[in-house]
Amino acid sequence: MKYYGGCDVGSTYTKCVILREDGKIASAVTIKSKINSEQSAKAAIDQAVLEAEEISKPSELSYLIGTGYGRNKVPFADENISEISCHAMGVHITNPAVKAIIDIGGQDVKGISIDTDGTVSSFSMNDKCAAGTGRFFEAMANAFELSIEDFSNLSLTAKNTIPITSQCTVFAESEVITLVGEGKARDEIAAGIELAVAKRCFIMAKKAGAKNSITLTGGCAKNAGLKKAIEDVLRIKVVELKTDPQLMGALGAAEFARQKGMDKE
Amino acid sequence: MKDLQHLYYFESLLTEANNELVRQAQAQGGLALGYTCYHMPEVLLNLGKCFSVRLRAPRTGSMELATYYMSNATCEYARALLERGLEGGYKFLDALAGVDCCECMNRSMENMQLLKIEGTEKKSFFWSNIDVPCSDDEGCVAHFAEQLGRKVLKPLHESYGIDISEEAIREAVKEHNEVCRLITEIGNFRKLDNPTITGHEFHILTLISYTCPKHLIIDKLRETLEELKTREPDKKKNFRVKVVLIGSEIDDPELVSLIEDSGALVVADRYCYGSFPGRQELILSDDEPVLTQICRQYLQSSLCVRLCATHKVQKRLDYAAQLKDEYHADGIIYEQIKFCTYWSYERAFASHIIQNEYNIPTLSVDRPYMSRSSGQLRTRVQAFVESIEIKKIKAKKAGEVK
Repeated sequence: MKYYGGCDVGSTYTKCVILREDGKIASAVTIKSKINSEQSAKAAIDQAVLEAEEISKPSELSYLIGTGYGRNKVPFADENISEISCHAMGVHITNPAVKAIIDIGGQDVKGISIDTDGTVSSFSMNDKCAAGTGRFFEAMANAFELSIEDFSNLSLTAKNTIPITSQCTVFAESEVITLVGEGKARDEIAAGIELAVAKRCFIMAKKAGAKNSITLTGGCAKNAGLKKAIEDVLRIKVVELKTDPQLMGALGAAEFARQKGMDKE
Repeated sequence: MKDLQHLYYFESLLTEANNELVRQAQAQGGLALGYTCYHMPEVLLNLGKCFSVRLRAPRTGSMELATYYMSNATCEYARALLERGLEGGYKFLDALAGVDCCECMNRSMENMQLLKIEGTEKKSFFWSNIDVPCSDDEGCVAHFAEQLGRKVLKPLHESYGIDISEEAIREAVKEHNEVCRLITEIGNFRKLDNPTITGHEFHILTLISYTCPKHLIIDKLRETLEELKTREPDKKKNFRVKVVLIGSEIDDPELVSLIEDSGALVVADRYCYGSFPGRQELILSDDEPVLTQICRQYLQSSLCVRLCATHKVQKRLDYAAQLKDEYHADGIIYEQIKFCTYWSYERAFASHIIQNEYNIPTLSVDRPYMSRSSGQLRTRVQAFVESIEIKKIKAKKAGEVK
């Protein structure tokens, strides 16, 4: 049996997936990213190898692909592929019926549409600004002194929404503090924040050509409040993936590794 | 590939506007005439002892001073020039010939003039700002010629005693044409299956030809051309796809480098400071005034998005497809510097039409003036490269390669 790896070095979390040659997942890990991308990748790969059981060291991977923000820092990688292509492939092998993705990572928001073969047909992406990204949610949850999960759950309890006018992380935080100071309902403010991000996702998804179905990937895909807001704004059902959506980049990289590795052999 | 002999020297010249060759030419009695746009025919700034310097603001950091005067929702190129001017970076100029090409540049020039960035040492310094027509019919040609005659040639003669006769202009055209011929011949190596010059290298050579005194670089350009004739490409191609780069102002070779590092070799440069247009020879007859002929050729060859006549809009689209075919590119990257008003329109519809009606893979991006640290831009280009490459590989596997 041969094994293939994909390592997605994100700005906040590093993910590694190891696939068997039949395409089944042998192991999958997610760890908090360190300041040094190479160290993050090494730690994630080591742990994934440990959990795979059938292999004992990274060099036993027949092909390894790096992706994500630190994709060119993955040790022993045979090559790197952009996270845009990898998320498309990851979603494609998880659910081929899904043709559009909103990927919200630590510092990026991307809208991706997928071709029938799992390749990218079009995409759009934010620039340097962190508005609407995981960093944005972290800052907002911090302002509420809550975890992101609790913040998300709080937004789901709101009966009304208080609109947030700024998506700039710095200005939005200041606006939120002002609203809390004014005694406004915290759940409604939280719902307003989720709505603001959903609107940004709407732009990305539309630019990328999203039509009938969409799925969320990246760490923020686990934010139930955001999912609901996106469904409300986009007016299309968000498809749930059977595999952890945060792993899609690493899974896609591993699938590319599997295809390329098998071609090479 | 073996390094080009003069490339590092050329690259070093691009680290400042008032570079070694500019200083050398001025020390020899030359007059440095600054300009910012293709619509200021550079050949008219190269009469007699004058030499043209197309303005850049290399190594730009923050632009707080310029932002105060121009607001932050303005083109970063226009702001970077003002910032550099306020820092004293253009005091070496003997005149600054601007054009009314866009609102941001107008504000930049206006502020430079009001804030006297030229300093006090250059007693004969003059400013000019030319009204450039938005089309290329004969009325536009006459208007353009009148503006250039009155606002550039006349002050050059009156302030510095420059000979502005027909003969003097024809002499300048000769030198201009030689530089254009050299750059064009060098650029033709980009048509090869495995090009012997990268887009980054070519961009450096083109920039040098815009920003340095021509008589001081021409020998080195000739040597570079000779070198390229025998330069062996790397056996394994160092690129994954070839692209045409189209868009607004690019005077930062790092941007082309970033694109090429992401796997896309830039084989044709259709942007301000590129060679299409800009490095085509001026063909003169003896039948009419030389200034009229120059103005006509500049207006007719211009592919600037401020020229909004219908035939110009269509020409820009067709020309993009033509470059893609001629230079055997796999796709087109449309780029726009942030807050460029004209390109924000052009990029949106041209990238859509080229993708959907011309069926050419297209990436559309906006970018800051200095792009070197943009990880997001790198990711976008790499994803574009992969989308083309994966489809090519799959088509090849399926035996569908045409």
